[in-house]
Amino acid sequence: MLLLIFSYFALLSFIFLSLYKAVQYARMPVHGRLDLYPIPKEKGKAEYGGSYMEESGWWRKKHEISFAGELKEMLQEMLFIKRLFEHQKSLWWLSYALHLGIYLLIGWTILIFTGAGFELVGVAVPSSGGLARLIYYLTILTGAAGAVLTAFGSAALLFKRLVMPSFKKYTSAQEYFNLLFIFSTVVSGINVWQQDVGFNYGREMARSLLTFQPIQADAALTVHIILLGLLLIYIPLTKMSHYAGKYFTFHKVLWDNAPNLPGSKVEKKIQEGSQFKPKITWSAPHWQTTDEKK
Amino acid sequence: MINGKHLKPRDMGKPADQLTKIDRLMPLPGPFDKLDTAPEFKEPKEEWREKYCTTLDGFIAIDTLKRPETKEEEEEFVRKFLQGLGKMLSEETNRGIIQPLKLSIEYCAKCNTCSEACHIFQSTEGHELYRPIYRSEVLRKIVKKYFTKSGRLLGGLVGADIDLNWETVARLGELSYRCNLCRRCAQTCPLGLDNGLLAREIRKIFSQELGIAPKALHEKGTELQLKTGSSTGLTKPAFLDIIEFLEEDLEEKTGKKIKIPIDKEGADILLIHNAGEYMSWPENPMAFAILFEEAGLDWTLSSDLLGYDNVNYGLFYDDGQAKKIALKQFEAARKLGVKRIVLGECGHAHKAAVVTADRMTYGANKVPVESFLPILRDIIKDNRLKLDPSKNNFPVTLHDPCNVVRQMGIVKPQRDILKAVAPQFWEMTPHGVYNYCCGGGSGFAIMNSFNFPEWRKNVSVRMKVKQILEVFQDTLEDASIPKYICAPCSNCKGSMRDILEHYQLTAKYNVQYAGIVELVVNALADLDRPFFEFLEE
Repeated sequence: MLLLIFSYFALLSFIFLSLYKAVQYARMPVHGRLDLYPIPKEKGKAEYGGSYMEESGWWRKKHEISFAGELKEMLQEMLFIKRLFEHQKSLWWLSYALHLGIYLLIGWTILIFTGAGFELVGVAVPSSGGLARLIYYLTILTGAAGAVLTAFGSAALLFKRLVMPSFKKYTSAQEYFNLLFIFSTVVSGINVWQQDVGFNYGREMARSLLTFQPIQADAALTVHIILLGLLLIYIPLTKMSHYAGKYFTFHKVLWDNAPNLPGSKVEKKIQEGSQFKPKITWSAPHWQTTDEKK
Repeated sequence: MINGKHLKPRDMGKPADQLTKIDRLMPLPGPFDKLDTAPEFKEPKEEWREKYCTTLDGFIAIDTLKRPETKEEEEEFVRKFLQGLGKMLSEETNRGIIQPLKLSIEYCAKCNTCSEACHIFQSTEGHELYRPIYRSEVLRKIVKKYFTKSGRLLGGLVGADIDLNWETVARLGELSYRCNLCRRCAQTCPLGLDNGLLAREIRKIFSQELGIAPKALHEKGTELQLKTGSSTGLTKPAFLDIIEFLEEDLEEKTGKKIKIPIDKEGADILLIHNAGEYMSWPENPMAFAILFEEAGLDWTLSSDLLGYDNVNYGLFYDDGQAKKIALKQFEAARKLGVKRIVLGECGHAHKAAVVTADRMTYGANKVPVESFLPILRDIIKDNRLKLDPSKNNFPVTLHDPCNVVRQMGIVKPQRDILKAVAPQFWEMTPHGVYNYCCGGGSGFAIMNSFNFPEWRKNVSVRMKVKQILEVFQDTLEDASIPKYICAPCSNCKGSMRDILEHYQLTAKYNVQYAGIVELVVNALADLDRPFFEFLEE
């Protein structure tokens, strides 16, 4: 029962702490513009890095925005780490192995719970055939590929950081630990998996989670559950939570070129922000007059 | 002294007369390929060592950063720096940047993808001190050590392993002036982080909390501008005299009699130049006057305080100064009742007035601002000028000012203009939003104290020199062919002037430079003689 409670606690912590982080960033005051081109939402101009400011009298014209353009760029960055691919391919192979591995393991988790759901309604996986069989084999495929890629990626990145001076001098003990933590968790998972290649234990555990029944786990599975749970709690507390931060850095900072026009949402935020009166200010002599205080 | 390859961020606090030095420079293409790439920089003078911070790389950018005389002064300096750092991290005192700042502090994966993008790192053959994340990492270590629980509890295990003393802080301040704030590195970051932003935040702590900034930017920059109307010290009477002189010179040069409109109330356009143009490149405002008059625009200049100088050096180092200047420029436009402000050839003024000032105020306090480039493009497109591009039949290349392209997305208008007036237009590689900085960005072009120009002329401009040599490689050594660098930005022109003089590119190879409006005027069909002196027989 303790494992069940711990699993729920870890999962909820991951969700809650990640959301908390995102909300903290979202609540920060509107910032000055830091446009950095190319901005993919600039319709008809993004390809060469242009913007609405290429038009005379731009404030009188409609700002043509392509949400599809922004979405495409965001997906390329999220799914394929486009910038790393373009600017540092040697590292991309390792980093992408890790990230693709994690994506596959997320897919595996969904398949595990889907399979468990099937079993709960009386459809045996895989012996009922059809969709159940498909789920069974997809689970094996995503689980195996995900685990191998994640283990390889985390180990390779750890090794690269340990041996390459330009990486080593910027890496703290905590950053080595982060990679080692991921690697150890995946290896503990592989250790469980090699005893049951069809991931039947995974569906059994998922059934326990879905029905609030105690998880039946041997020593190897217990170690894996504890490591995975701790990792889920730990990730949002570290910079590994960049899955939340990246939305803000691109969408809300570098690509936020919305002008402050009369009647616009930006103007409303600026108006509201202007009501804020700081209690303290900077100490330099030229800051001791009223109009530069922000 | 630590070798450039072995330097680590935590070394910043180590006692040393000089932390490191530049031992190699990027080779340049022909005819400079035989140059020794092991530089012999002059040692900083002993009196400089005693009074200023020469302990980073031997150069001094901050000419107001003086060594303390007592232990108490040293401690007070460090205490005030930490106080400023606290304000940098506080929503209360740094509202306008807190979200992007915290993201850039928190999420760096130290993947080094940004390194290759930096022209200064490349120019020094990968000197560790100039790696874009080196400076950011020193800042992060201090933040971690003094402003996070994990740093206080776990110290070096989480990267909070740096000694903080006067030397660390002073070196960090100096290092914030080894970055042109071009933000090319941010374009490559897989996490969207911005080392340029962090460099500027360090400059802000120095200026806003410690009251320390390079004289050229603060005392003789923003302060002088707020007092006299221009960072050049140009006063209203002197400005009016210059305009008269321009009218006379313009007539003599082109035969055109033009009355330059000043303080014309209710005009459509208030044109504001970088006042440096009047002093150093008067052909530029002359060319604007010719083109705007030929096109029949309803325009004016302003003689009001801050109405005749579009520069805003606050952009480089101080939010308060930036805001004061931007608001006063809006005020000058409002007083005249113009419909819009149009910015002349000054890259940082473009960004300051259009982008940065955009969210500084709202409603009636604002006046619409735009670049001259789309207007000039439209004038040419609408055939409002009679042009003969064969008058510019020599190789022309375009230097893209970072603030206009990468930071505003104005890329195509200048190319449309050049295609219409320059039959031999060649692009540099890379160009547009992926251009390299001229090496004078973020104030460097005007910072001339001590040995800083030596650093600039050898290091920060080096990539631009390489690009210029490459783009003109076919004709460079034929001095009978003029080669023209079109640099539509006063700051970039200052840098070009430096480059051409230091590398003797004009004297030996007939490489010339100026803005874009001069090229258009030179292509005017009705001019009897060339607008450019270098074309006169």
